[in-house]
Parts: sequence; C-alpha cells; structure tokens
Amino acid sequence: MRFSEAKNHRVMSVGDATTVGRVRRFGVDPATASIAGLKLRKTPGEGDTLAWSDLEAFGRDAVTIGSADRITRASGHLERLLAKDHAVLGKRVLSVAGVDLGAVQDVDFDMASGAVLTVITDRHEIPGTSIVGLGTYALVVDPARP
Amino acid sequence: MSVLMRATEVIRRPVVTMAGEAVAQVKDIVYEGDGGHVGGFTLAGRGMFAGPLKVGLAWESVSALGSDALMIRDEEVVESIEQVVSRSAARRGDVLGSRVMTDDGTELGTITDVILDVTEVADVIGYEIDSSPALGKDGRRVLIPLPDTLSISGEALMLPSAATEFVSDDLAGFGAAVQEFRTRLAGGGAT
Repeated sequence: MRFSEAKNHRVMSVGDATTVGRVRRFGVDPATASIAGLKLRKTPGEGDTLAWSDLEAFGRDAVTIGSADRITRASGHLERLLAKDHAVLGKRVLSVAGVDLGAVQDVDFDMASGAVLTVITDRHEIPGTSIVGLGTYALVVDPARP
Repeated sequence: MSVLMRATEVIRRPVVTMAGEAVAQVKDIVYEGDGGHVGGFTLAGRGMFAGPLKVGLAWESVSALGSDALMIRDEEVVESIEQVVSRSAARRGDVLGSRVMTDDGTELGTITDVILDVTEVADVIGYEIDSSPALGKDGRRVLIPLPDTLSISGEALMLPSAATEFVSDDLAGFGAAVQEFRTRLAGGGAT
C-alpha cells in the first residue's frame, strides 16, 4: 500500500469497535527501512502516537488496535521519527554520491511488516533497502545497495 | 567515475551527513600542491546562521562531492579550520582574475573559474577564462586545459602554446581535450 492511500486511514479499536483516530503521518526508521510508528489526528485523549508494534493490523480499509490506550504520547526515538521535519513525503532524496534524485512523492510499504518497499520520487523509484539515512535535510540512499 | 565541475559551483553547496542532516555549506576551497588539487574546504553555516565557521573539512574526510551536495559520514569528520588550512600550501588557488599567458608570449585571457575533475581526488584540470582577441573566440568564456604541472605566480599563469588547440566551449568533451593535450605534451599522440 502507498502512503498516499494510507493517509487518513481510520484507526479502530477492536475492543469496542470505535474509531479512535485517523492516520496523519508515518515515522520511518532509516536503520530498519520500515515504519516505526504512526502519528494520528482526532484521537480521544492527549496521545497521538502509535508504535507499529502496537498495531493489530494495517488493513486495506482501517488500522486496528486492541484498545485506545495503545495510543500514547510520543517520546524518545519515535518522537523524533514522527516529527514533521522527518516526514518522508516531500523530502529531498540524495544519493551517497551527493546527487539529488528528486523529492519523495509517495512510498510503497508492506502492510504486514511495515517495511518500506519503494520510495517514489518525481524521477526515480528507489528500493527501500537502499535507505542509508533520514534527516531533516534529506533521505540519503545508496542506489548500489540491493 | 569522473565528474567535471566548476569550482564556483561548489561554493555554497550543502554539507550533508549520511544521516541526512545538512550541517554546513562550503565556504571556500582549499587547494594543495601548488593549486593542483583540492586539499579540503572551509565551511560556513546554513540558513539563518549563515556565516563563516571556524571549521573545515579535509578532502580525505569527504565521502563524495556530488553535483548537489558534499557528503560526509557524520559531524565527527569536521575539523578546526587551522588543521585543514595548515596542511595545504600557503596558496589557496586564488587564481581568479589572474592572466593566462602562453610560453610564446600571447595573452589568452583572465581566469574566471577553476575546472575540477572529481574522482577519488579532485584535480584542477583547467581554467575557465574570459578569452582575449588572440584566441579568436569573440571574447567569450572558454575552457583551457592545464598541463600536469604548471608555472604560476601571483601575476600570471604560463601555459605551453599548444593549449590553444584544446580550448573547449563547455564541460562536455573538456575532459577528453585535457587528456589529449597532456598526451601531446608527454610526446605521445599522432602530431
């Protein structure tokens, strides 16, 4: 599934079958090249963060969680990955050779594992396994990495 | 892989870590070996905090100098500016504005840019000059190849007169022209 399709996905609590938020942003961990967590909007409490490991499922039509108390306030590593300045969509992509490969237009990910499969820019499609780093300035990729 | 670039285009290029953070921008190029190759860079801050920093980068610490960014492993490789500048010879390739003369006494023009050939090293392989009438290029900016070693002073740069036969209008094909010129000087080639 793509970020563009998954954004605004409904987040539902399995325990009481209620909507407890909507997907606002994806936090990608460059070390694992996978989604580490989700930033939500329209949550019932003060928390707005879901760790990927706390999901029941990332489904075609909704994200499911056990109950609303899985939604927490962001902290530590996950907070940084979910910060606006680390958002992958729109991020400049640089190769390790220092060449601009375009801006991220979309990301294709595995719904089961959260792994980033493909980073799509206006000029290139880059496999997620090429990801080297993700900072406030750029997503750095090594196209030679399989 | 070899990439040709103008030195002035490297100035202000962002310095980016492999973690995707832009930590500085290139302020100036520090040349080594009588201006024959790049020894390192002095850095300036970016954005709101732009201004000269007291730090630099040795060429050995540069992971890649690309067309859009200068890549480094992480912030750790940034050194004090004294370390970078002291390792290079006193001259910093301040050749812009210098006159280019041939050994037969013809003035070819004045230097407007330095052309770098970037591989594992960044060699100075030519200059962009505002051409004099002697070159017959209507005063246009052209690229002129350099021999492996050259004679340069604060006053002028002296080139073998054969250099005029290998003048290029742009970077495409200039690398080949430099190779041919150097082969000729080494006594090789057909003519």
